[in-house]
Amino acid sequence: MSVERERKIEAPVIECKAVHKKFLNLAGEEHVVIGDIDLQVKKNEFLVLFGPGQCGKTTMINLISGLLPATSGEITVNGKPVTGPGADRGVVYQTINLFPWLTTMGNVEYGPKIRGVGKEERQKKAQYYIDLVGLQGFEKAYPVKLSGGMKQRVGIARAYCNEPDVLLMDEPFGALDAQTRYMMQEEIEKIWQKEKRTVIFVTNNIEEALYLADRIVVLSNCPATIKAEYKIDLPRPRSYVDPEFLRLRKEITSIVDITK
Amino acid sequence: MTKKLFKDRDDFWRLICGIIAILGFLLIWHFGTNGTRLGEIMPGPIVILKSFFEAFTQKTAGYTIFGHTFWSLSRVLVGYSVACVLGISLGLLMGRYRLAEAIFRPFYEMIRPIPPIAWISLAILWFGLGETMAYFIIFLSAFNNITINVFMGTKSINQELVGCAKMLGANEAQVFRTVVIPATIPYIFAGMQIGISSSWAAVVAAEMVRSSKGLGFLIVSGMDINNISQIFVGILAIGIVGFLLATIMRGVEGKLCQWNVRGK
Repeated sequence: MSVERERKIEAPVIECKAVHKKFLNLAGEEHVVIGDIDLQVKKNEFLVLFGPGQCGKTTMINLISGLLPATSGEITVNGKPVTGPGADRGVVYQTINLFPWLTTMGNVEYGPKIRGVGKEERQKKAQYYIDLVGLQGFEKAYPVKLSGGMKQRVGIARAYCNEPDVLLMDEPFGALDAQTRYMMQEEIEKIWQKEKRTVIFVTNNIEEALYLADRIVVLSNCPATIKAEYKIDLPRPRSYVDPEFLRLRKEITSIVDITK
Repeated sequence: MTKKLFKDRDDFWRLICGIIAILGFLLIWHFGTNGTRLGEIMPGPIVILKSFFEAFTQKTAGYTIFGHTFWSLSRVLVGYSVACVLGISLGLLMGRYRLAEAIFRPFYEMIRPIPPIAWISLAILWFGLGETMAYFIIFLSAFNNITINVFMGTKSINQELVGCAKMLGANEAQVFRTVVIPATIPYIFAGMQIGISSSWAAVVAAEMVRSSKGLGFLIVSGMDINNISQIFVGILAIGIVGFLLATIMRGVEGKLCQWNVRGK
């Protein structure tokens, strides 16, 4: 990694200190989902949380987004503690969650609109991000008319257009077919290269993790703790068949399998 | 217009079959009532159509058929409008806020199973024989249907969308305006459609009990003076207006709910 890049990403934007989350199950028993996670994400870093199926990755995203309170520990974004949902954190969901009654434009401009940004300004900005995700020509289409991959592009543009400090992506391509998934991985890489943001990206797909990450944090199975960390210095855009890529893939996969 | 009249051959044949079936029915009706015993209690289609068109210009009890329709519609308009405003508001509040549900739902559930027509006698005693009685009955019948639909719709909102709006920076008022209301619109329209049909049924019932004008009155006075054609004219007008009201509602829904598959 170059010195210049190192300097650019040194200040921590997201900080999780001893974050712990317990749920009560139906029988009233305590169920630890997140067990003491310490995590720092630097500015403009692309961090991938990688772990097996139900290990609590989504819970981690919900805690950082503030939709769930942590049982103990503290999460801060740019030094401010997270106490609830807020526009400083943008979320891209696996279930996509577009507003079905709004067009592509309506969805992308939603954030600026409720903040009271004037029509001309917010539509210009929305148009920029719609173009960025390659959806020009579909501004007036309702989500019901779009394919899965296109819907998720709208979801990404909507999150970007609100200009959050951090982007949280919760298995955003999990619901897409394999072909579209590869395409979207390349697409999100390009978008992020062009518009650098601090990203936490959750996935259970090792290729996806290796293709996108500056750093991979491997989580153990429930309760989730940090099992290992890998700094990925491969040049971008990466190749799925690069020998180093394949070596890392094998190594990380074996760790996860042992954890299970 | 470049739009094709029929989407495919099936649509065309369905239309032809429909026309043949109705013509066949009218023919059987015509010959079944022409000079037969049935004809003594049941006029033929030609007689009824003739009286129907005569009613356009001829006055019965001071009004043409348009006058009676106007009176019935104006009663529906008042009762139904109030029911829409109150029903939609109450449904949204009960669906979104637990406190509102805890307070209002028991009352609502007590009133809901009672058929609106059961209130007619009480309404006459409370409000007298004037228009208010009819407004009240129409209000009740539309209000029940609208409230329950809006309530169920608000309850069934995808909570992830609410979370999503909050993550984009929406406060509670903005969530209500930009998520709860649009998400509930298909249910609001479903309630309003059922509501307009039940209002139309209620106005006829209310007018049949006590009134001196309106389509319900036309039917009852036809019975009192043993004028079967007049009864049929009333029924025909009720059917046509009911059909038009439902069609208009569907048209408005289709325009406003383009995003929803239900609205298609």
